[in-house]
Amino acid sequence: MSDAGLELLIGRVLRIGVTTSSICLAAGLLLSLVVPGAGLMLLNVGILLLIATPAARVVLSIVEYVIARDWPFTLLTTIVLMELVAGAVAAVLFHKKL
Amino acid sequence: MPIVTPALALVIFAAGAAAGGLGALLGIGGGVFLVPLLNIGLGFPISVAAAISLATVIATSSTVTAGKAGQHLMNFRFGMVLEVATAAGSVLGGLTVQMLAQSTLQKLFGVVTGAIAVATVARSRRRNVILDPNADPGRLGGRFHDEESGGTVTYQIKRIPLALGASFVAGNVSSLLGIGGGVIKVPVLNGWCGMPLRAAAATSAFMIGVTATAGVIVYYVNGQLLPTAAAAAILGVQLGSFFGLKASPHMAIQSLKLLLAVVLGAVAVVMFARGMR
Repeated sequence: MSDAGLELLIGRVLRIGVTTSSICLAAGLLLSLVVPGAGLMLLNVGILLLIATPAARVVLSIVEYVIARDWPFTLLTTIVLMELVAGAVAAVLFHKKL
Repeated sequence: MPIVTPALALVIFAAGAAAGGLGALLGIGGGVFLVPLLNIGLGFPISVAAAISLATVIATSSTVTAGKAGQHLMNFRFGMVLEVATAAGSVLGGLTVQMLAQSTLQKLFGVVTGAIAVATVARSRRRNVILDPNADPGRLGGRFHDEESGGTVTYQIKRIPLALGASFVAGNVSSLLGIGGGVIKVPVLNGWCGMPLRAAAATSAFMIGVTATAGVIVYYVNGQLLPTAAAAAILGVQLGSFFGLKASPHMAIQSLKLLLAVVLGAVAVVMFARGMR
């Protein structure tokens, strides 16, 4: 895929992610304001979708660079993904210590 | 910490809309306004305010990137190189924040906001474009259609280590304080690293989604991202920045910038003073 094609594909993924997330957040917010605590599940789904969207963009870039056999950029993008994972792992370990 | 009642959720929504609108007008993201509103205005601890603000940064980044896709302004390759540095800075910032006192963070926020106020008025405006559309952009440079030059222009990237260093600092400050970090990266990329301003701003807007994600994960796991308050703020910021972006071409940007630099200066003083107590 060309660079322009990748740009449009990434744009579409981000749009879908942020829209679905916003719908979940809006529904969850309204629900939890009417019945306290009721919308918590939806709110968390919305937040996780929000966080997962940029991560999905990174994964998508890795796939594209592998297909293009662009190994230096496959490596760089994989490092970025590993950093996101390391952040989550470090947070969990850190949280347990507190 | 305040309990998020329906009334408070509405106030947070309004605060998000105001911060998002101002941020979009200024082109700097709304975090610098949202964090003080949540921290000093509504009494949330600064780490909670930063976590909520970072979540809004992700939403803004995704929306802006989706909107700009196809214009070739965003430099995905160079952005990906710099993300290695911003994500590392961001994760470290998110972990460091757990060990810092609220007053230290408030003082730091004051200093950084003060610097942003100065940078807003004194921002560099290097053109950095090569008018020949067939010029070699190199491995990391780019090409886009520039209205100002009336055609396709090319740019080349210089001083990559400096760009990486600025990105690391931007990522770090981003997750410490809950701001996007574009205010640190964009002037460096434009002033020293060869990027035209619009390309630097678009690339930064695209990068901050991943930067903020790296930071927000740490806050989320620590239970500092309050779901109800975050949802209200995200939806507010989305609404505010939508109207801010619509309005910005019709505003007298230069005078507006001066006014907002004064507001930012005031925010800086208030946050710093609160940190000194």
